[in-house]
Amino acid sequence: MNKLNEPGLEINADVLVIGGGPAASWAALAAAERGAKVVIADKGYLGASGAFAASTSGAKVIPPIKELRDPVKFERYALGGHLAQHSWWDRLLDVTFEKAPKIYEWGGYETPPYNTNGRPAYRGLQGCETMRIMRKQVKKAGVQILDHSPALELLVDDEGAVSGARGFQRQENRPWTVKAAAVVMASGGCAWLSKALGCNTNTGDGLLMAVEAGGELSSMEFSAHYVPAPKHSSVTKSAYYRFASFYDESGKVLDGLTKNGHRSTSAIAKELLKGKVYVTLNQNGADNPDMQKLLRLQQPNFMNAFDKIGVDPFTEKWEITLLLEGTVRGVGGIRIANKDCGTTVPGLFAAGDAATRELNCGGFTGGAGPNMTWAIGSGNIAGWAAADHARSLGQKATERNVRGVGRTGLVSSTETDATYDANAVVKGVQEEIFPLDKNIFRTEKGLLDSLAKLNQLWSEVQKNPVQGTAQELQRSREAVGLVAAARWAYFAGLERKETRGMHKRLDYPQLDPNQRHYLAVGGLDKLWTRPVPVPEAVVPQPAKEEVAVHA
Amino acid sequence: MIELISQSRCINCDICVEVCPTNVFDPVPGEAPVIARQSDCQTCFLCEAYCPVDAMFVAAEAHEHVEVNEEDLIAKGLLGAYRRNLGWNKGNSPEIRMNEMRELQRKVGAPF
Ligand SMILES: Cc1cc2nc3c(=O)[nH]c(=O)nc-3n(C[C@H](O)[C@H](O)[C@H](O)COP(=O)(O)OP(=O)(O)OC[C@H]3O[C@@H](n4cnc5c(N)ncnc54)[C@H](O)[C@@H]3O)c2cc1C
Ligand code: SF4
Ligand code: SF4
Repeated sequence: MNKLNEPGLEINADVLVIGGGPAASWAALAAAERGAKVVIADKGYLGASGAFAASTSGAKVIPPIKELRDPVKFERYALGGHLAQHSWWDRLLDVTFEKAPKIYEWGGYETPPYNTNGRPAYRGLQGCETMRIMRKQVKKAGVQILDHSPALELLVDDEGAVSGARGFQRQENRPWTVKAAAVVMASGGCAWLSKALGCNTNTGDGLLMAVEAGGELSSMEFSAHYVPAPKHSSVTKSAYYRFASFYDESGKVLDGLTKNGHRSTSAIAKELLKGKVYVTLNQNGADNPDMQKLLRLQQPNFMNAFDKIGVDPFTEKWEITLLLEGTVRGVGGIRIANKDCGTTVPGLFAAGDAATRELNCGGFTGGAGPNMTWAIGSGNIAGWAAADHARSLGQKATERNVRGVGRTGLVSSTETDATYDANAVVKGVQEEIFPLDKNIFRTEKGLLDSLAKLNQLWSEVQKNPVQGTAQELQRSREAVGLVAAARWAYFAGLERKETRGMHKRLDYPQLDPNQRHYLAVGGLDKLWTRPVPVPEAVVPQPAKEEVAVHA
Repeated sequence: MIELISQSRCINCDICVEVCPTNVFDPVPGEAPVIARQSDCQTCFLCEAYCPVDAMFVAAEAHEHVEVNEEDLIAKGLLGAYRRNLGWNKGNSPEIRMNEMRELQRKVGAPF
């Protein structure tokens, strides 16, 4: 039985975009710009869905001036283990500089003035406002939007080329099928349902769908991105911890939790493994009432965590935790195999957090712009290429014989009628992937123990999914994506026997120059990894005086 | 998590049903929507931001249900507060908020 076989909505298009965040919206606009007929299917509502709409992030909008762009390229180059590629940065910065300002124009806003440092003073346009404008623009471009329509599997033709997708319209209670010449996967990262801000729509579905279609992933070992949040809340906004004093339960100040003005996640994690940690934002000028007003205006979502419970974050102490953002501000995702954001499967392109971000971030990302630059850049590049691919296929595209390749968590087996409990599976995955001592501080033994449990969960989900309601259909499939993503992350983590980027191995604490490569990872029942060379030699850091220190 | 839909304020426009990324609400013909799947709420505050009549309250507590009291929230000015902070309420705009921000930046400098 498969709920997707019920009668439903059927559409033919040139390009299908899966997702509804910035990467997907830009891809849809870029494909439409090249004359393609585009459909975009989002799990949630294009405008409110995804990490960006809820959290707000800035991109690197930098004019093509070497002195301004070099600091961006070098900012986290060493931190990312020299796995980023400067040639990719150049392309992404070009696209972002051309495209990002259009949001202001479309929204009827005054274009931001340039700062004295030569960079546009983009600040303050919130994610939800930006996505409201993007939605309007996507509609205006003639793109057909399917909201509340999670994609559940890819379609492939007889040659194995991706030729569309199927999913379910959860508010219409019917399946959808879109046959398309090309598909852009922009379904966001995977935060394992941690409730990190805006991230619960992002359950790694795209990774699973891509691998089922014959694709592969990369940099999944760099997926342990944790962010502090007020303990009661979802608010994983990280920028203001540069104003933080940290305290233990007795009120003693904890030193060393920030490095060069930035929080140190592993130092915070070590303290949290010992006991409770509290914060007050009272350093670096945050005791100035005007600065407090400014900080309130700049991040109204951050303030929700405090205003709603009547706590003043600038004078009172509040307890923090670390929430897992996974690949959302980590790195891993679908492997990009060419300059067009194409994958290893013909007809499938990837963009944003669904794709690996190793090309501009190497083994470490974090906040402050590189991710949004990747989302805007890769979204546009993938959208253009998908439209071109559709044109090259022409009429042939819709005449192809296609079949769905989704399996685990979607299609019931004929051998048993036993079902699995999706919520219990999700909890089981979270028990392996959330704990700081398992995911941040990695050892061979710890990874093997976790993988053994995750493999048991993988066996469990070979039973039948419960598909009584649209919600159950979706959750059953999501549970499979979460197990699969955790297995890929830890399997790659086991293989990388060194400490590099955000991958920390207690048993291999040094960076090993011989492991300066990417790790492709894939497989469903049986996992595999393969080193992939970085095509660029390490670019030497320019002399100090050439690079302005970047705050 | 989402804790309140004010029955007296709600105009049954179903905007929250449409925008909620995790499909927490079910529409009810001629009535306010119901919070059908509270545990799926990801505490993104966006339904509250979109509600045209400030009828909703998303508590900051993301991992557990808390009791809230409508009168109390109104008295504290908390119904619709996020919408106002975004500049999405009537008579306000994000541009106005951004200009206030630039004004303050000129005074105290960019925070980072
Ligand atoms: C709190 C926070 C702060 C951040 N700050 C910064 C910052 O300062 N600078 C920076 O560069 N980056 C930052 N980021 C990261 C940035 O937000 C993301 O990199 C960016 O949102 C990626 O865009 P995206 O379109 O790929 O994914 P998202 O914005 O997450 O959108 C993913 C979309 O895919 C949809 N989707 C998921 N599964 C399916 C499916 N099966 N079918 C259909 N649709 C699906 C979702 O509904 C959603 O619409 C931050 C992230 C967070 C959480
Ligand atoms: S958005 Fe507000 S007014 Fe509209 S249905 Fe929801 S609660 Fe009621
Ligand atoms: S806070 Fe976000 S997830 Fe929760 S009900 Fe509102 S829109 Fe939905």
